[in-house]
Amino acid sequence: MVQLLKQRQMLVSTEETRAARRVGTGLSVAYVLDPRFPGGTSSAVAAELEVVTALADVQVYALETKMFGGRRIAPRLSDTLMRLKLPVQWDAKEIKADVVIFHNPSCLKFQEGIDVRLIARHLIVVTHENFLRPNGAPGFDVEKCLSQIASASLALRRSLAPISAWNRSTTLEWCRENRSGNAWSILDQDWFNICSFEKEEPTSTPKDRRGRHSRPGLEKFPGYDAMACCFPATADSNVILGADSFLRAGAAPPHWSLHPFGALTLKDYFDQIDFFVYFTSPVWRESFGRVIAEAIAAGKMVITDPETARTFGGAAIEATPEDVDQIVSSYIAEPDRYRGDILSAQEKLDRFSTEAFRDRFNVLVRQPMGVIP
Amino acid sequence: MILLCSGQVSSRHFDALVLFALQLERLGHRVAIDQRFLPEELSKQTRYEMAPFLADFADISPQIVVLIGADDIGESAQAILGAMRLEHTVPIWALGQFADLQTEITARNKIAYAVGYEPHLLNLTADHRPNLFNGSITPLLAQIEKDPQQAPGKSARVLVYSPFDELEEDDTALHHLSVVNYSPNMALHLVTNAKGKDLIRKSRHATLSVFSYGELPPTDLLNYFDILVFFGPNVPGERMALLALNAMGAGKVVVDCTESSGFASSGAPVLKGPQDPAALSGYLHGTVAQNRLEIGQRILQSEWLHQFDIDAVLRNVVARAKVSKSPSKTPQTVFFPTNGNGVGHAQRCALIAEAMDPARTVRFAAFPSCVDMLQNRGFACVPMVPRSADHDAEYAADMLNYLRLRSLVKTGDQLVFDGGYVFDSVYRLVSKLQVRATWIRRGLWRQGQVNPIALERERAFSRVIVPAEAFAELNTDYSSGDDIHKFGPIVRQGKLSQEDITSLRDRLSIQFDRTIDTLVVTMLGGGVASERTAQTQLLCNVLERRSNCLHLVVAWPNAVVSNSLYGWQNSHVIHTARTLDLCQAADLTISATGYNSFHELLYAHVSAILIPQSAPYLDDQERRARAAFERGLAGFVQDTELLSLEREVSAFLDDGKAQAVRDALMKEVLPDTGNIAAARLIEEGLHQ
Repeated sequence: MVQLLKQRQMLVSTEETRAARRVGTGLSVAYVLDPRFPGGTSSAVAAELEVVTALADVQVYALETKMFGGRRIAPRLSDTLMRLKLPVQWDAKEIKADVVIFHNPSCLKFQEGIDVRLIARHLIVVTHENFLRPNGAPGFDVEKCLSQIASASLALRRSLAPISAWNRSTTLEWCRENRSGNAWSILDQDWFNICSFEKEEPTSTPKDRRGRHSRPGLEKFPGYDAMACCFPATADSNVILGADSFLRAGAAPPHWSLHPFGALTLKDYFDQIDFFVYFTSPVWRESFGRVIAEAIAAGKMVITDPETARTFGGAAIEATPEDVDQIVSSYIAEPDRYRGDILSAQEKLDRFSTEAFRDRFNVLVRQPMGVIP
Repeated sequence: MILLCSGQVSSRHFDALVLFALQLERLGHRVAIDQRFLPEELSKQTRYEMAPFLADFADISPQIVVLIGADDIGESAQAILGAMRLEHTVPIWALGQFADLQTEITARNKIAYAVGYEPHLLNLTADHRPNLFNGSITPLLAQIEKDPQQAPGKSARVLVYSPFDELEEDDTALHHLSVVNYSPNMALHLVTNAKGKDLIRKSRHATLSVFSYGELPPTDLLNYFDILVFFGPNVPGERMALLALNAMGAGKVVVDCTESSGFASSGAPVLKGPQDPAALSGYLHGTVAQNRLEIGQRILQSEWLHQFDIDAVLRNVVARAKVSKSPSKTPQTVFFPTNGNGVGHAQRCALIAEAMDPARTVRFAAFPSCVDMLQNRGFACVPMVPRSADHDAEYAADMLNYLRLRSLVKTGDQLVFDGGYVFDSVYRLVSKLQVRATWIRRGLWRQGQVNPIALERERAFSRVIVPAEAFAELNTDYSSGDDIHKFGPIVRQGKLSQEDITSLRDRLSIQFDRTIDTLVVTMLGGGVASERTAQTQLLCNVLERRSNCLHLVVAWPNAVVSNSLYGWQNSHVIHTARTLDLCQAADLTISATGYNSFHELLYAHVSAILIPQSAPYLDDQERRARAAFERGLAGFVQDTELLSLEREVSAFLDDGKAQAVRDALMKEVLPDTGNIAAARLIEEGLHQ
């Protein structure tokens, strides 16, 4: 299967690719990841590559970790790699670059080591998964994953790159509580997911049409009582995309319109809602919350928990499930405020734009490397 | 109450749930298993084991949820947990063999995502606890006793596990194992799978005591041996691993004869025995038997064993839910007569119960056909459910009866079962509670009924009461041993005086509004075991022609009575328990030859024509009838000989044969009855 995956890569020589891409930056960047992550990691990397390939000599290295088996490269990432004519080198024994960017170390949680040598001036590990869950329980065996990377690497500087405010807080807390965290510095600015979605005008006549979408995992959903608060029978409609677990259980109330993950295009889905009401399990939080950005860009009012809302700096309403009814009814009563707040939220999304990422990347990778503090 | 769940929904996981539930129950906890973890396929044995625990979540309020096999949690299990909508105050404990921190984190996360709060985790491989069986879903833990739980005295009970493959490949293996049983100081039991048991039953060692692999749970099988021996390639599965562990915890001797020394190599305090079955007998006699108690004491002190102490390992998990169980304050004797039709077995039990000291607490577990009769005699009855074609499985009723018996019988009580085939409910109850159990097993079995399968459950009973037949040639020993007690026939007696007879006939005359010169009683059975409408119709016809004749046709409870019997002038269908009185008052009785009726007629000197029933599950009534006939103590007619029946009726009523038979009966010396002796023996059981 992996052989098949490898055969799918563009048959373009590595040297030709480098020659075609070199823009005189003199900077080499190696992307290291398990490209089979199905969700945010692969999407984020795909968006980054569109930007970074114009700024540096980029190589993409794929790790065949024990996290996945028998899956293909995530489609979004695969499409980007093919369009950019970027070959993927699987299981390289040595990866050398000025900057090595290791995306999502949690892919190493099911193994004891990686058979690769990472050599870099700056090794950046982008922490796509929260190190800790809201109550302090570990999200995964962080120590095990980071130690594998540390043992396999030779770098002037090793950094952890949180992707959001909440993600940063869990990273900081973990480093405080674990001695091995001292071996890592933490980048000052968030390595955010690029959100360059096409923006849609919000409606001027909002109705009580609520919805949420996510992958179908149980962690993405709050308990039943919270769901009942968020999606009551009094709403005009409640559209839930990614409702696989509710469909299997067969116990959802009749006023919920349930769709399995992927059953609707996002456009069709967003056309059915005016309020995006998004709460997760109380024991889990989004590390970034790409779906929030999608909903804001789609011209919807987003209501979510404070930790997730913090990532978007006022672009989403912080609330509890019990607050949702009152928030929705107040916006319906004030459609102008509805439109104005959404337009303002869309402007705030610019901090996650391609340009913003490019600027930040340029500043980061050209920082002088000293010894590890 | 502890609610048990598992990480996956599968037969293997469900088996583990049941085994763990049994262990927790043994510690005194109330345990339930969520029925949503039922797999699609279930064996009969698993159904019995699970029956006391299976619960609908809507009907219970658990104080704790315990999830086993937590090292591999599937979506189905998560969905079930999520659907419970547990209050966050209900602690969830996840037990598993967590190989590393990530496995623990994965388990914790999966449960937390499903229920919305954090579970507690218990790693069963923590603290370097040895792994007796890799990948076990059942928590392998043992209840550790203070002293060896072995039978006292010289005689040792040995349980040998041998896989079918070894028995099949080596046809001398079984012979060598059976040699152990030849010793007067050893009693051998084997445990193997169903194919192995079948192989043994077809061999010349068919009479060996054999348990099927899943016949009894390890917690109950534990009660059958002092020494446990394992053959085979390795530790043979979770059940046997659990059995071995709990055997050690009970201070019993475990001998590892496996090829890989699977038990010994884990560090377990087992003896390393010979891999060749031929050497087992010598090894047991030479090394083990005489020292078994001391070996057991040393096992109980083993540090290795104490790592598996269930109380210690689970002290943080289930301390809060523990409920102490006390034995019955007033020990009771519970009689459980078999049969869904007729009252014969219940009658016999009632006779013994009536002969017991009235101060004893006696209860009955009885089928519907017997309840009225027993209650009329002053006995409290718990109704049992008879088999029905409407049930999905043929054992459904017995499984329900098992639950009822578990509620009725407590530690310290004793159970008396009367029947030919020992129900699963009785067998399992006695094996579990280790109550004193007595099997009343009357003889005169048909040839096909005598087989090792029918007799093997005798091992669950402390004693067997064999009520003798009146005639010596009808008595056969089906098994032997100190636990077999033979007593005289257990018979209802109550001789009527001539005045009583006259008074009874007068009352009948008033009740049926006629002069009675001839009274005939017919009791040919309930019409279930054997169809007797033709014979009864013939009798009605013959007796209809007689003037001043009253013919009473006795219908037993649940009897099938033809409507055509209701049209006669002289004949009447009656339902009564006073058959003995009526027969003594009658000029002629026509009767089947079930044990009770036959012996009542003999001992009451009732003149009778006997027509034996012949259903394959009944005793050999024809032999009984012939024995009386050949002694001139009764008439005898086969069910097909209708003309002979008519002639015999005439001979009895018109030609003086009734009186001749009566005279012969009065001269015949019959054995003393066994009612009182049986009652005394059963009363002794309450003191032991």
